[in-house]
Amino acid sequence: MARERVSQADEWQAWAQRYDIEGGIRTFESGLTVKVFVGALFVGLLMMPGSIYLSYVSGESGAGAAPWVAVILFTELARRSFTTARRQELYMLLGLTGAAVGSGLQYRNFIWYAYFINTPQAASYEIADKIPEWIVPAGDSVGVLTRSLLHPDWFLPIAIYLVGKLLGTLRFVSGQYILFRLTADLERLPYPMAPISAQGATALAETTGKEETWRWRVFSIGSMAGLIWGFLYIGVPSLTGVMMSQPIQILKIPWIDFTQSIEGFAPTGVFALRTDFGQMLIGFVMPFPVIMAEFLTAMASQFIVNPQILYRYEILHQWSPGLDVRGVGLFNGLDFWISYGMGKNFSLAIVGMAASIPMLFKLRKTQKAAGERGSFATPPNRGDFPIWLMGLMWLVGMGGFIWLIHWMVPNFPLSFLLGYAFLYTPINSYVTARTFGVLGRDLFEIPYLHEITFILSRYEEVDIWFAPLPDEDYGRGTQSWRVLELTGTTFTSNLAGTLLIMPILLVSGIVVLHFIWQIAPIPSAQYPFAQMMWPINATNECLWKTSLRDGNSQMLQAIRGDYVAAGLTSSIAIYGMLWVFKLPSMWFYGIIGGIGADPGSMVARLLGAVIGRFYMIKRFGLRRWYMFNPVLAAGFACGVGLIGMGTVAIALVSKAVIVKPF
Amino acid sequence: MEKVASLIIIIGTFLWLFSVLALEGRWQWQMFSGLVLTIGIFLAHFWEELRDTDNTDNTEE
Repeated sequence: MARERVSQADEWQAWAQRYDIEGGIRTFESGLTVKVFVGALFVGLLMMPGSIYLSYVSGESGAGAAPWVAVILFTELARRSFTTARRQELYMLLGLTGAAVGSGLQYRNFIWYAYFINTPQAASYEIADKIPEWIVPAGDSVGVLTRSLLHPDWFLPIAIYLVGKLLGTLRFVSGQYILFRLTADLERLPYPMAPISAQGATALAETTGKEETWRWRVFSIGSMAGLIWGFLYIGVPSLTGVMMSQPIQILKIPWIDFTQSIEGFAPTGVFALRTDFGQMLIGFVMPFPVIMAEFLTAMASQFIVNPQILYRYEILHQWSPGLDVRGVGLFNGLDFWISYGMGKNFSLAIVGMAASIPMLFKLRKTQKAAGERGSFATPPNRGDFPIWLMGLMWLVGMGGFIWLIHWMVPNFPLSFLLGYAFLYTPINSYVTARTFGVLGRDLFEIPYLHEITFILSRYEEVDIWFAPLPDEDYGRGTQSWRVLELTGTTFTSNLAGTLLIMPILLVSGIVVLHFIWQIAPIPSAQYPFAQMMWPINATNECLWKTSLRDGNSQMLQAIRGDYVAAGLTSSIAIYGMLWVFKLPSMWFYGIIGGIGADPGSMVARLLGAVIGRFYMIKRFGLRRWYMFNPVLAAGFACGVGLIGMGTVAIALVSKAVIVKPF
Repeated sequence: MEKVASLIIIIGTFLWLFSVLALEGRWQWQMFSGLVLTIGIFLAHFWEELRDTDNTDNTEE
């Protein structure tokens, strides 16, 4: 019996409905209230100095858990005040607190370049006197020597940053929104990771109501699992690291490397078992065909393609016995996989356009209701914006940004900036939006893009390395718009909250960083992580920024046109053959994710997917399981985040205590 | 249209295999087969969408 053809759009629609646990269109409410705004500012600004301080002391800002702490605090206050918190409010609180906590670190480049400009590395590589004044004042300026970000010397770098931030907000809000409309409304991509954030806020909101539902129970189970796992995986090494010279790791972090064990029968193959079994939760959530296809393809890559084809025909020629996963990965990448990967990633753009352009043509023929595939209609009261307005905002933001870059580096060819802005950025963003819509992660990355550009442009000044380039990615942010939709939060309220809090955070961030810099020089003994890492980072930065001086870069030489073409064409061929044989297009995304990848990094996800598919769905039923698993994953993330923050705090206190010998 | 799209995709795939196995994987030939495949895939999706429209129109009538 012939297999019936299911169009890609129908396939996506079915998956989108599976993840849309409340059945699609819902009522939308504003999440922005005075208590949310004040609460986010209070918790965010309280934690921001600690977050900056921690990042210089330990390299971890601990900012990930802060929004959850704010939400838990908020819900507890609501319960004790006999009032309720809506999920829209809690999701908004999560976002605003995250922005507030991270606001200090947005200026970290100022401190870094104030250090870098006076390093012996920058002097010996003859960069120090070429660092532009729009990045950092001169090394002997008062603003740098007195460690004062509020000194007039810093006016130009700060002004440039603020203008860039304003233009960036215009571009990112509009770019993300347009892509969201295209991928979520028109194509109905499922965005499998979006329900995690949405369900976390929903579960906590329900705790403030009169009745506790299944969500709170599932969230609590997830949180406890996260706390236990976080303690074993992060807590034990962190705490024992404080007390002992060598921390105890119950499971080796980040992987157990079997690469040398398999080299006898699979030379050039890699297999490093990733020990972060928290990834199982991602396996629960992600579509099973994607995870399965990804793992099988990765296995085939490492055990058949690498050793039996690429090694045998001496395409992988730098490998030698005894290398670990990093060494084999580096050499395999240079020999073949970097080039192949570039082509492979471009195929996502072609496939995406092939699927979406016919839908746009069809829009002229048919008018469909909101929530149907192929429809641009918006659900009522979602707080949507006119597409033309968003397009105009993007053009203004991008036009202004290009003008700014041109002002910074006037001799750099304008054509490259325009190419980045109006060709690369839309393609890159669209592809990323699609991969987030299907896989929940980014796949599209062209390595050494800046280096290639600089070589092609024949521009030899060092200042271009310090200038921002308009190669942007709005695709990643489309997921947050989907989360807003799932939580029923109006888009207008989210935008209003972001715009209202931004000026406060811009000012407070720089003031707090100024005071932390005043405490002691960064790096110095008070900031051990910075003291250990920054000199190495300075050397690396010098190496990169001077790598093209003699026109000789090993990385660039690794990119070969025939391998790029092989990556592109073989991927399109795989997609085409899946279509010819009427197989699900989900497989294509799994195969693309798995080609050349390390299967060991996918074992935990596979385990989660298999348990979900063959036990949990049978136990709870498909619909209930897809209701449970995002809540479980949100609870787990919360538990791990809290443990991470707690252990970092203990480590911080222990480092602050000086033990006297009497 | 479905059969035409399938045929183009199959030809493109064989062309690519031929370019790798017999023409030393020269990028020009690979890209040419990529172009053939791209045409086939676009055709396939246009057919899918237009087929849906025709079906919908018929149902409504």
